[in-house]
Amino acid sequence: MIRFEHVSKRYGPRHDALVDLSFAIDAGEMAFITGHSGAGKSTLLKLVALLERPTRGQVLVNGQNLNQVRRRGVPRVRRGIGMVFQDHRLLLDRSVFDNVALPLVIAGVPREEIARRVRAALDKVGLLGREAEAPATLSTGEQQRVGIARAIVAKPPLLIADEPTGNLDPQLSAEIMQLFGEFQQVGTTVLIASHDLALIKRMGKRVLVLDHGRLIDDYRPHATG
Amino acid sequence: MNRRKAANRMKPAAVAPAAAPARRDRRAALRAWREQHLYSLFSSLGRLAARPGATALTLAVLSLTLAFPLLFWLLLDNARQLGGRLDDAAAISVFLKPDLPASESEALAERLRARADVAAVAIRTPEQGLDEFRSRAGLGDALKVLHYNPLPTVLLVRPRATAANGESELVEALRREPRVDLVQYDLAWRRRLNAILALAERGAEVLAALLAAAALLVIGNTVRLDIQGRSEEIAVMQLLGADNGFVRRPFLYTGLWYGTFAGGLCVMLIGIVEWALAAPLAQLAASYDQRIEVHGLPVAGMLGVLGLGAALGWLGAWLATSRHIALGQPR
Repeated sequence: MIRFEHVSKRYGPRHDALVDLSFAIDAGEMAFITGHSGAGKSTLLKLVALLERPTRGQVLVNGQNLNQVRRRGVPRVRRGIGMVFQDHRLLLDRSVFDNVALPLVIAGVPREEIARRVRAALDKVGLLGREAEAPATLSTGEQQRVGIARAIVAKPPLLIADEPTGNLDPQLSAEIMQLFGEFQQVGTTVLIASHDLALIKRMGKRVLVLDHGRLIDDYRPHATG
Repeated sequence: MNRRKAANRMKPAAVAPAAAPARRDRRAALRAWREQHLYSLFSSLGRLAARPGATALTLAVLSLTLAFPLLFWLLLDNARQLGGRLDDAAAISVFLKPDLPASESEALAERLRARADVAAVAIRTPEQGLDEFRSRAGLGDALKVLHYNPLPTVLLVRPRATAANGESELVEALRREPRVDLVQYDLAWRRRLNAILALAERGAEVLAALLAAAALLVIGNTVRLDIQGRSEEIAVMQLLGADNGFVRRPFLYTGLWYGTFAGGLCVMLIGIVEWALAAPLAQLAASYDQRIEVHGLPVAGMLGVLGLGAALGWLGAWLATSRHIALGQPR
């Protein structure tokens, strides 16, 4: 599903964010990217979502070489990826329903179908019945759930998350990770950047470890929890 | 499935492959397109209503900007009518020799009518001339002391609007006529009037162009501020895969609403000005012998103002979005 071939990303003249990175993640797989802050986790995800382009090498997503995607084609690539952010990036002047519906509105899904699918997505994250509320009135964990509902409502084959539990306490973090695990079970490829090593270990999924932009480890721990 | 992929590849910005239902036909796509537009149309209207103060101020500026050239144009349109009457007055007055029989003046008039550079010839007999004098206040008594009619027959020759040279040629020809006593024609005055009218007309056009540019800038700037205020929303939409058209649409509709409302307000403004000026204008018109008909903005003109406003609004928003949203796109 995701394939990096000798990818390097350099910001400015001397800051190397990623160096000669190569790996592949299969369809339906769930993997974590970890490493200290500044190791290149976010940059890696940005390359997948076409928020950045590599300086060298190529990134393939779902068989498509992203280097060949022109500017006009970028939105279509992004519509095939569900994105979850650390700071959730919900629109605070709109209701929960409108936030979750946004990807479907963008994709031009008919109204009745939007209502049905938004409710299904909110049901999955345990927020059914809260559609009319404003995101600001929700707790941090609930806001992140709305962000996840928005990421999955269009049923993208790939879900990426940048520190989705960065602002949450351990209990909530575990719940959120469990939620991502459930999406993997229904066939979604999930790629999560996180530095919460204890939590990652409990999940028992594949882990890619970055250090100063280089891939230094690629392992699968045994689940402990 | 494969076919749909191929279709998507050919039209990259069409629909999301993941979000689209498995079998989407053309009609559903058209419906979705219509729904997106209706959504943008009404949500942008709602946004304007959400900040009534700022919206009212923008609309006031816009409607004044539109109203100025229009009022000037209306004034000119009415003045042109006045000019038209003066044009009649500027006809060449040909005073025939006194005691010329009516049949001979008829024959002369007929001969002049046949000329290519003559548009019309009217005969004013001495009797008509006397009547006209009598009808003027004060002159009636003075004429009573006359035992006979001292007025000659006058031919009012209206030249055909051609080159100015042709007119002076006609005047010369009239002067050479043996039956003609006096030819009166103020060429310089007539030219000056035409030049003034042409200048005013050009001035109205320039003013209209400048103020249309001002309207574009006002709308463009308002939309630019709107884009800045909603930069986070735009960024999120772009992250979720919205193409420029989608991001741009609500702003285009905002511009459209601004322009249309400003056009409506402008029509009302012109109506108020017309109403305020109606009485003094009627007085002015009454002071002229020939009745001048003061006319305002016709219904077609009102619709034109609305359409013009809408077009300017859309264009202004288009300029602002094409500059600022394209720059906001990460890549």
